[in-house]
Amino acid sequence: MAAQRKRLNTATLVLLPFWAVVLAAYVGTMLWTVQISFTASKLLPVDEYVGFAQYERLFGSTRWSVSMQNAVIFGVLFIGGALVLGFLLAVVLDQRVRFENTLRTVFLYPYAMSFIVTGLIWQWLMNPGLGIQKAVRDWGFTSFDFAWAVDRDMAIYALVLAGLWQASGLVMALMLAGLRGVDEEIWKASRIDGIPAWRVYLFVIVPMLRPLIVTAVVLLAISVVKAFDLVVALTNGGPGISSDMPAKFVMDNLFTRQNIGLATAAATVMLITVAAVLVPWIYTEYFRKARVGGTA
Amino acid sequence: MSTETATPRGPHAESARLAFDRGERDRGERPTSRGTTREGTTARGRKPKTLTIGRIGLYGFVVVAAAFFLLPAVVMVLTSLKSMPEIRDGSIFALPQSLDLSAWAKAWSSACTGLDCEGIRVGFWNSVIITVPSTIASIAAGALLGYALSFWRVKGADILFAVLLLGAFLPYQIFLYPMVRAFSMVGLYNTLSCIVIVHVIFGLPIMTLIFRNFYAGLPVELFNAARVDGGGFFRIFWNVMLPMSTPILIVAAILQITNIWNDFILGLVFAGRDNLPMTVQLNNVVNSTYGEREYNLNMAATILTAAVPLLVYFVSGRWFVRGIAAGAVKG
Amino acid sequence: MKGLVRSILASAAIGVAVMPAAAQEKPRAEVMHWWTSGGESAAIKTFADAYNKAGGVWVDTATAVGENSRAATINRMIGGKPPTAAQFNTGKQFDDLVTQGLIRPIDDLAEKGGWKQVMPASLVAAASRDGEMYALPINIHGQNWIFYSKAALKKAGLSELPKTWEEMVPAMQKMKDAGLTPLALGGQPWQERSLFNAILLQQGGKNLYMEVYQDKNEEAVRSEGFRKAVETYGKLRQMVDPGSPGRSWNDTTALLIKDEAGLQEMGDWVKGEFINAGKKPGVDYGCTIGLDDSMLMVGGDVFVFPKIDDPQQKKAQDLLAETMISKDAQVAFNLAKGSMPIRKDVDTSAFDECAQKGLKLLQSEDSQAPVFEILVSASLAGAVDDVITQFWNNPSASPDDMIEGFVNAFELEG
Repeated sequence: MAAQRKRLNTATLVLLPFWAVVLAAYVGTMLWTVQISFTASKLLPVDEYVGFAQYERLFGSTRWSVSMQNAVIFGVLFIGGALVLGFLLAVVLDQRVRFENTLRTVFLYPYAMSFIVTGLIWQWLMNPGLGIQKAVRDWGFTSFDFAWAVDRDMAIYALVLAGLWQASGLVMALMLAGLRGVDEEIWKASRIDGIPAWRVYLFVIVPMLRPLIVTAVVLLAISVVKAFDLVVALTNGGPGISSDMPAKFVMDNLFTRQNIGLATAAATVMLITVAAVLVPWIYTEYFRKARVGGTA
Repeated sequence: MSTETATPRGPHAESARLAFDRGERDRGERPTSRGTTREGTTARGRKPKTLTIGRIGLYGFVVVAAAFFLLPAVVMVLTSLKSMPEIRDGSIFALPQSLDLSAWAKAWSSACTGLDCEGIRVGFWNSVIITVPSTIASIAAGALLGYALSFWRVKGADILFAVLLLGAFLPYQIFLYPMVRAFSMVGLYNTLSCIVIVHVIFGLPIMTLIFRNFYAGLPVELFNAARVDGGGFFRIFWNVMLPMSTPILIVAAILQITNIWNDFILGLVFAGRDNLPMTVQLNNVVNSTYGEREYNLNMAATILTAAVPLLVYFVSGRWFVRGIAAGAVKG
Repeated sequence: MKGLVRSILASAAIGVAVMPAAAQEKPRAEVMHWWTSGGESAAIKTFADAYNKAGGVWVDTATAVGENSRAATINRMIGGKPPTAAQFNTGKQFDDLVTQGLIRPIDDLAEKGGWKQVMPASLVAAASRDGEMYALPINIHGQNWIFYSKAALKKAGLSELPKTWEEMVPAMQKMKDAGLTPLALGGQPWQERSLFNAILLQQGGKNLYMEVYQDKNEEAVRSEGFRKAVETYGKLRQMVDPGSPGRSWNDTTALLIKDEAGLQEMGDWVKGEFINAGKKPGVDYGCTIGLDDSMLMVGGDVFVFPKIDDPQQKKAQDLLAETMISKDAQVAFNLAKGSMPIRKDVDTSAFDECAQKGLKLLQSEDSQAPVFEILVSASLAGAVDDVITQFWNNPSASPDDMIEGFVNAFELEG
């Protein structure tokens, strides 16, 4: 018993520096963010408190509401799309197709590219004068339209497309890993029962992959909330403000517009939104089943 | 440390197999195990050899998907090899008339980024110097924390993890100001250690997440047995857990090398003038247009900057899936 | 909070003061700026050369894109490791840095060198806070230039560029009918705003322009003159090519160089592109200020000198400021940059015919108006940009939308 106590103490001790980092960097920044959002800070923080004035400004801003709408559109399409596409690719690769290794690399390599590079490439591909549109029109399909990045109705989908290109491979890798772990017995049994493969995938396999799907959603959601580089490189929020996103709103106000107060208010709203959506879900996913360990 | 850990390769292979063959399921892609399932049971829903409509559809999908994923890379490489008149007048899909590597040479060694005209190679070693210690340190931190969270019941550990996950959702620009202040207070601002610590802090949520998931998939009996043998916190970590962690270590390394190598704003703000990473040079090359935009130069510079993470993926792509497979699914 | 900040900064400053090798003979000046493209690099190089010749060592820290560069500068100032000098745009970008005491006042240097007497008063004012100079203006950029392709004009059957916007709109229609892109515009908010402000200054006159941006007068925004400018601006939405959104200004100038587009409203840095392409003013392309060469919108760049305790660094700052403002450096720099010297007492015979027009207007305070970044805060500037870019990019937005947007922005940010 005494030895056990000692070991537990080691674990507690090991966690101390992590607590320090988490408190100083994460909790500290969160508190700082909330505090500054109640001040009149411009380029540099000041302690002139103005109540909810920054929040009033924030919610009075068309640009912020457009950003939030775009975050929802982008978030749903990007996360949903990457999950579906990634899963399909994984299923396909799991069918013993030829050149599996090559294909896996082909699907995965975009994840090695930063969002900035992703944005640059797709901006070029969607450039009406130089990109795919011109090439296809030169082939004779003169009504072909792929200038999404310069079209205010399509710009947000341009971001989704580029995002899918970059991130679907990661989901594919996660799902493929999961499929490789599926017990062969399940397939045997389902074949004996004559259940079509797609039903097995949908109703048996997908639930089994749940932990992986959760991981994928967390990773994808983080990139949605932080979508800044991609937006800047591909559309820069335009045309107009049609493809603006919250992270870009925050960044613009932090430096260019010298509005730390407004920027932190926006970040606070983002954090609360994320917390409201994700905390209950993460809680059930990660903490519901308390593991047996440690003191066992 | 004990003698077994002196040669990590041996024991790790052993225990990795142990982990794979735990009897629950076969997760490996190792040729042997795949081979047996393939030939032995012809398991998956469809039979591969006959050419059914489904099979044609399957390959159709593969071809379209591969085209979608490959298209940008193909266009980039083609463009980087063309001359400017070719780019202006030709189709983006056209093959270059001659193999012109001058854009690559220029991007690497003579493109101007301000008054220095030494190309993006200046930042290459800086990026290496930043990436190597940051990757190692952040993986070490994530592995240790993930292990502690999975096997040791420590008060408040769940809260720690929840805060970390939540923190991952703050736009990182918000961190800049408080962090600059904090680092300058302790006199570290604008140094190599500064940027390494920053990368460790920002890498912590995801690293912890994947290691925690991995260790959660290992059987508790393993841990309990080690405890019975009198293993302490670090001894169990070092002698039991770490040797089994190779697959997930590879995944973590791939993710972190990519993230850290690709970072721009943190490097710009925290690394200091003498340690600016390659992405800063890339930004200077790509955004410093004068007259006609030199697309061939931009593309070459972009590919060169992305070369390291790309290489990592090409070399270790197979390990990536295997690594996730080894730790990921739990029933 | 302020006290705490101060003490942090003070301790950080001590750290900096100890750090540089004291044995250094030549004053090393680290200069942060965002002039990375061809012509800009050539310009900054004249400064670097002059400084090295004056006995210093120039250390260049260039980061492409002003926002990136300024973010790095501001963070380094906050972090207590400021550069010797840093670039900003003339205007309110560095206001907060001044209030927080991070920037060194250079009034003593200005007095000693007698700079204030030779610079345009409006730019001295823009560089000063409470009567004290905190920034060194180094150039003047006219920002309401119209550059036009002579060949394109000819192709559209126009003998010369109209002198008013009323005549301009039908002329542009002619260009469109001739298969040209009448208006070369890079669809980034600051370029869209630059065009609008040029129209407002031209059509509405300096008084209205100042009432709107200096006084933030709501009635001026609701006036007939302002509405007319908005209507003109709205008509121009039809005059751009589909590739416009997001395009950089220099990619846009390329359309003029290739004679595919009629005209571009921009600052005089555009000239660098023409020079680079071997095009001659008055022969291949024309330039007017506004449309009738009567009113110059002036802005430019400044360098600020962060407050540093190290005497060695202070010496470097002194030498740097004196070098940049010296007559020779002013001529060399501004010739390369395409801008105009900040000093009225230099020999300007080497400048081209476009610059000569600008220099003429600079002689009198009545024929110039400050760019709007000098008049409005960064935050209001951003809000106005949002309003203008939404109007510009939405063909169905009405002038009322834009006017209400302005009023709203002034109420929220003014």
